Amino acid sequence: MLGRFLAFFVAAFVFVTPAFPTVVTEEPWHPAAAAYRTMMFMADLVPAPWDEIRKAYEEPHPAAAIQRPARAFFDTLPDDAGAAIAGAIETEDRQRLYEASTRALSRLARNALAEAAASLSEPGQANRKALEAQAYYRAFGSFIEQSDPEAGRRLGLAWLELMSAIGTSGIMGTNTVAAREEDFQYARAEIDTYLTANFEPDAFAERQKLTPLPETIIAARGEVPLAVWLPPGSDLSDQDPLPRLVLNFEEKGIDETDLPLVAFGDMLFDSPNIFGEPARSLGLTCSTCHNRSDINQRFVIPGLSHQPGAVDVRGSFFNPMFNDHRRDSLDIPSLRGLRFTGPYGRDGRFASLRDFTRNVIVSEFAGPEPTDFQLDALIAYMLEFDFLPNSRMDRTGRLTAGASESELRGEALFRKPFPQMDGQSCASCHVPSAAFLDRKAHNIGSRGQGYDGALDGYLDTPTLLGAKYTAPYFHDGSLPTLASVVDWFDTRFELGLDEQERADLTAYLNAVGSADEPYEDFGEPNTQFRLAWEELTTFASTFDALARSRDAANAILMLETVALDLALDATGMLNSSARSQVFELVEILNGMLAAVRADDWVGAETLWASFKEMKEDYDKAMY
Amino acid sequence: MTKRCIEPPSFVLDRRSLLLAMASLPLGTAMAQAQQRDDLVLAFIPQEDPEKLIGDIGVITEWLSEELGMPVRGFVTSDHSAAVEALRNRDADISFMGALPYVIANEHAGATAVLQEVYRGKPSYTARLFVRRDSGITQLSDLRGKTIAFADPISESGYFYPLDLFAQAGLLQRGEDPNRFFSRVLFAGGYQQAIQAVANGLVDAAGASQYADILLSPDQQIQVTWIGESVPIPSHSVIARGDLDEGLRSRFVEAMLRLNEPEQRHMLQYVYGPDGYVVADLAAFEEVRELARAYGVLR
Repeated sequence: MLGRFLAFFVAAFVFVTPAFPTVVTEEPWHPAAAAYRTMMFMADLVPAPWDEIRKAYEEPHPAAAIQRPARAFFDTLPDDAGAAIAGAIETEDRQRLYEASTRALSRLARNALAEAAASLSEPGQANRKALEAQAYYRAFGSFIEQSDPEAGRRLGLAWLELMSAIGTSGIMGTNTVAAREEDFQYARAEIDTYLTANFEPDAFAERQKLTPLPETIIAARGEVPLAVWLPPGSDLSDQDPLPRLVLNFEEKGIDETDLPLVAFGDMLFDSPNIFGEPARSLGLTCSTCHNRSDINQRFVIPGLSHQPGAVDVRGSFFNPMFNDHRRDSLDIPSLRGLRFTGPYGRDGRFASLRDFTRNVIVSEFAGPEPTDFQLDALIAYMLEFDFLPNSRMDRTGRLTAGASESELRGEALFRKPFPQMDGQSCASCHVPSAAFLDRKAHNIGSRGQGYDGALDGYLDTPTLLGAKYTAPYFHDGSLPTLASVVDWFDTRFELGLDEQERADLTAYLNAVGSADEPYEDFGEPNTQFRLAWEELTTFASTFDALARSRDAANAILMLETVALDLALDATGMLNSSARSQVFELVEILNGMLAAVRADDWVGAETLWASFKEMKEDYDKAMY
Repeated sequence: MTKRCIEPPSFVLDRRSLLLAMASLPLGTAMAQAQQRDDLVLAFIPQEDPEKLIGDIGVITEWLSEELGMPVRGFVTSDHSAAVEALRNRDADISFMGALPYVIANEHAGATAVLQEVYRGKPSYTARLFVRRDSGITQLSDLRGKTIAFADPISESGYFYPLDLFAQAGLLQRGEDPNRFFSRVLFAGGYQQAIQAVANGLVDAAGASQYADILLSPDQQIQVTWIGESVPIPSHSVIARGDLDEGLRSRFVEAMLRLNEPEQRHMLQYVYGPDGYVVADLAAFEEVRELARAYGVLR
């Protein structure tokens, strides 16, 4: 969904509800708090990536405001608290890691509060130390609020009272407010006592999961389940700039509302409700990774992604049943021109797009078995994905007039057979007249062997169309630029290309991988919300067809998806004064949802008629 | 990008000591010392983690130095007052601050706004009064006897402008103790803390920047709405000391405006992260000045 653009710094808020098509700005984390949450998250993965956990502790954290690594803060504590954490990592001891780091982080928070208390005569300094204490506490905060709501509220008020009690030195002697020490100390004691009892107990209970929970809650109720969370630095928001979507029917002037199966498939492509947990609660959809049918260079979940734009979808996190224990994070492939790019999967493991799609839903993301209708709809939509038009190239894959000398030399090189490549050329596999692919898997040596003697390095030939915008390259995203791809082939096959030839080949790849309009062009009033509005109302239009067939299950799926997405998208509206109108429409959709659930189709259709009327009335303000 | 800290952290203390020392010198001596400088000095207020700020200063001063062809240094002040003092004492040439501190700096130190930050296409923003959507609170008068969190007692969008909405509605007098209307007035420490307090139901309302709700999680954003909005407030500005050499000031402004160019835009993240800059509209600050006087912040 387009509106998923910016959104979702899971890290900032941790607990999430489905779909995140909104604008969110993450407050930077304190390195110690960021590393703490990251270590807890990663240590719960199976197998735990201990090398990544070590990095989270000892290296600067990408979600932190400052570059100092977490260890530098933990090492300031007495009793070798920092070394105890390092020792737990070294021995790969999850329980010890939980105990040592939890205790240490709580201690850092309490120490900062003590320093704030000691500097109340200097409000600026006291304020900074109190904010530092909050930054440590943040690692626990949302877990407390969810598992111990009464305490969460009490502590939330204590923080407010504490900050208010600090006062201010004003500006140039005006507006000074003196500190209220007694109030400060009262609030501080509230926080201090809770932290000590719950995160620095005499002894911790043994943990199955390392989500930080107050020890008193563990003692009373055991490991209560909490909402799914991701570590700081996770980013599920859409790529910026947003790739342009080219749909075959749309280019031919056919309205999507006249293609209900396609429109419903479009909705499913943007719905987290086809997946199971935890993907559903995280708001993950097909389009989260494949923005506008393409890729998402921004997508990253520490522990699951070895770099942005990549993810391991066959680990313990999304579907433990499907865990292959391989830690095989792969670069997200583009789905442009999907009907021409089979077989599917990086190694071409699925001949059928239908099988591939079912595998994504059921095996990778633990979703319920999709119905034939749902698969038909998804496939119908995805088969409409076209490649980006590129006037640099004709329909047979030849460069058009105006190509530079370098590009033309590159084209000749591309088609030149090399004995080092068994007499083949680049064009042998990347066939220009066949969308620059051959629909075969080859082992070109780009993938390491799974075991001694393994013949498992075959990978599907990727198209070069649109490649200029899909960096990095190769299945693991190990090559950052097209020039580096050329260098890799030159080295790997000992082609002996000179500098000019490599530059020519790169220029050619850039030309055929180019596009006339690669990205969505936004501006007022053509905003991201406008695009979302048009998409979501198109999705809603499928209600007519679903109501005719009294298809309650799919109507509910659609209405749930559209109502929530519309509400979330509205938070990013440029014309924020019209936000209340969006919420009126959301209420109608929720009313339809309730009616369909109650099998009141007449009621739902009445509401639908009013939705359509209001949509027309509000349309101009929707940006 | 590798961040280079031109000034080591200890410099902050040295600088502060220097400020104190200079403040005690006769004015003529301080001016003489300041005029001997052949560099441009930027004073940064710690609106964010000072350690991060020191790293950012290294990057932006290095860039500016190359652009201007002269040494450029920066330091972190302890607070707004220290930045204004530094400008007044000519210990700093440039600083960065919000509209309210600026009009005070203008009054006390003769400093002039030269640039304004741009957010979402505008050199201004508004303050809003946020409530929970399910609170039943729909107008300002509904907040009588309720609790409210503001961001900070010296913030324009996080205190004075949202508070003034109540004065404009006749619910409070300008300068009157807000505790006479609300049951409790709290200062949360920042926009994020204030808006979070509303979302979590800890207070009934929050006064903060119009953009505060994007600091909430998506599901929280849906739960929060606003019932009042201020007039546009001039965005944070870049200010120069009043007697900074005219030529240098122009070159500095031109350099900063180059940050709007696509190839330079990434540098904006090292100066508090606006979307860009425009030349300051001094007339836009008159309303801020009037408000500051009404609330006794400016005499």
